[in-house]
Amino acid sequence: MSTTSSSLRVQYDLRPAKQVERRMIVDALQRLQPAGFSITDYQYTGFGAVYFVDFILFHKLLGMSKLLSLEQMTGLTTRIEFNKPFKCVDTRMVSASSAIPSLSRDVRHILWLDYDGIIHKDFLSDIQSAGTVLSPGSILLVTVDVEPPEEQDYKKIDPDFDGSKEVLGPKHWKRYFEYHASSYLRLGLAESDFGKAELHSRTAEILKAAFTRSIVPRTPVEFLPMFNFIYRDSHWMLSMGGMIAGPTEKRKLLSTTLRETQYYRDNFDTPPFEIAIPRLTRKERIYLDREMPCADGWTPKDFDIDADEMRKYRDIYRFLPAFAEILV
Amino acid sequence: MRYASAEVRKQFFIEMFTRDISLEDCVLDLIDNSIDSHLLKSKTSISQLIFGPDANEAKRDLGRIDVTCNHRQIRVVDKCGGIPRKRATDEIFCFGHDEGDQAGKLGAYGVGMKRALFKIGNKFDIVSRTATEGFEVSLTLDEWAKEEQWRVPIKYVDGAGSEKQAGTSITISELREEVALRIKGGGVPNRILDDAATTYPYFLNECVTLRINETDVNPKAISLGESEGVVRAAKEELTYDGVRVTLVATVAPGQRTTEQAGWYILCNGRAVIRANKDELTGWGDELGSFQPKHRSFVGIASFESGEPLSLPWTTTKRNINRESAVFLHTRNLMVTMSKPIVTFLNSQYPGDPTPEVDSIRTAVGGVQEVKFRDIASKPTAAFSYTPPKKEVRKNDWVRFQAPITSLDKVRRRLRRPSLSPSEIGRYTLDHFVKTECGTD
Repeated sequence: MSTTSSSLRVQYDLRPAKQVERRMIVDALQRLQPAGFSITDYQYTGFGAVYFVDFILFHKLLGMSKLLSLEQMTGLTTRIEFNKPFKCVDTRMVSASSAIPSLSRDVRHILWLDYDGIIHKDFLSDIQSAGTVLSPGSILLVTVDVEPPEEQDYKKIDPDFDGSKEVLGPKHWKRYFEYHASSYLRLGLAESDFGKAELHSRTAEILKAAFTRSIVPRTPVEFLPMFNFIYRDSHWMLSMGGMIAGPTEKRKLLSTTLRETQYYRDNFDTPPFEIAIPRLTRKERIYLDREMPCADGWTPKDFDIDADEMRKYRDIYRFLPAFAEILV
Repeated sequence: MRYASAEVRKQFFIEMFTRDISLEDCVLDLIDNSIDSHLLKSKTSISQLIFGPDANEAKRDLGRIDVTCNHRQIRVVDKCGGIPRKRATDEIFCFGHDEGDQAGKLGAYGVGMKRALFKIGNKFDIVSRTATEGFEVSLTLDEWAKEEQWRVPIKYVDGAGSEKQAGTSITISELREEVALRIKGGGVPNRILDDAATTYPYFLNECVTLRINETDVNPKAISLGESEGVVRAAKEELTYDGVRVTLVATVAPGQRTTEQAGWYILCNGRAVIRANKDELTGWGDELGSFQPKHRSFVGIASFESGEPLSLPWTTTKRNINRESAVFLHTRNLMVTMSKPIVTFLNSQYPGDPTPEVDSIRTAVGGVQEVKFRDIASKPTAAFSYTPPKKEVRKNDWVRFQAPITSLDKVRRRLRRPSLSPSEIGRYTLDHFVKTECGTD
């Protein structure tokens, strides 16, 4: 985990793929309402940092007003307070592990553990706590970086590692994953299973196992997958989540229109929904939007773009932000 | 159809079955039975003992248990009500409880007494009298082992005449060589005393008194702490499959040792696990390794049920059945509620010193003893630490060196040659405030 809050490194509100993810989550939550999930009354707990982008969306688009932002970096206290967008946003300068046990059992929650680091045992421990305390009907989302561990990450588990003599590779990444999540990994994995291209799969397996482990003792309550996004603004990121549901919530969830969407994932064994942002000009987007939603295989007549790109655009155009410069 | 033999052999119970339990725990099994008798006689529930008023307040009559342990015999004599003849003939010498048997609260499996008798010696004599009836059983094990039949001879005797005198005496003699050797080696009675003191904190002097070799056993309470407005203990409760679970985790008061820290797990009030700091309760796993800085950590997980078989204890009552559904569910909650306490204790020793460290250390050192029943009676809550509000300072020091010539000028101007430097400082500051700052 980085020692610097990612809010100081990343311009949170200018990440198109992340914003698409947020909008899809909002869309999903809107689809839950008609089935009897009173999302307006849910409490949202997340890591708002200094931008509070998700808080603004959830308040404005879903009408949620129980909002709690967690932040560990006490050095950001005054900025966080200054940037709080609404009076109804509460902030606590504590870690998720300290805050989760105090989440009310009488309220349904949307808890988004939107980590900016690669898999870490503390994340798995937070998932276990969340799966233990969140009331049925609550939604738990977890986002992690799925890039390979960097030298600063690896040195925490192997202080003798000397980056000037050795290059980090699958051998080290395997060791890192085993250090943080050995009991969540399946047996018999080889170094080649920890190649760069494999890390998102390993991370997904770990998160899936963590969700399962946290909920199994609560039978008949179960964890029903809903989201499995992979996207990249700078780093590849993975978001997985779903609902903590008893039989009643399960029945309600199955009655929603979520299955009609492209992004819904009710099984973590199917590939994640990749949020791919086609590189398009503003003029192209206005042109394409007039044809949306398009039929399979449709391509524009007036400029060249292949059908696969078109399909990707069709999947996300409703959620894709348009950025513009505003002089303030 | 042909059949292979699958019969039960006495030798298994006498030789093998006894290897997985310590001598001390065998004696505690016998004490469990005495406590059970008293609970039954006095109609006292486990909840009353743990969460209700103490014995004085509740005006409870206490049962009495005396244990004698030497290299010739181990004897447990109680005045706890005795065993009815019907239970003696139909139940207590069987292995395992019958479905219809009125099982006790601590005697869960129906094996403790038999295993203790087999483990300790070759001969036992039991005399038990309720107020109205009694029985005697004497058995030499090696002779009984030769018989094919699974039965013990029983002789009826008169009752004790009063509830107060009613009780049971179990004498085990012709001790097994290894048992006699251990006792001769010394320390066994002390260990039984220590084990009993930590195993029965909610029973000793609350429903029974216990003496080991004529020495009173005083309960060793599990210390919990809170401090008004600063440190609040975590409390959770749930009911799972008929088992009532009450969890409390917090910081313990006073100077603590590593040996005292950790989770205590009670099954029907009996401490099954004491000061656990390993993977069973999340330490070394989700909570990280236990370190000396965590020595103030303490947690109690109390499992209660009228059906002792539903509780997550093993037959030795010294461990937890990890596959128990109620324990699996509870364990996650135990870990979850422990984390903020671990974070809090870790923050006493930050990488970079912070101004809050002193307040945190003061808070850890300042917690006061609180009873389990008092925390358990409060609503569910997570552990919390509220830093004391910083006092707004009303006064501050003004301290500086001034030339003596200047001080003398002031003395002359005021015609007060004896004014001290601090009086001059105060006078001049007051003068400035009065003439330049006004009364705002």
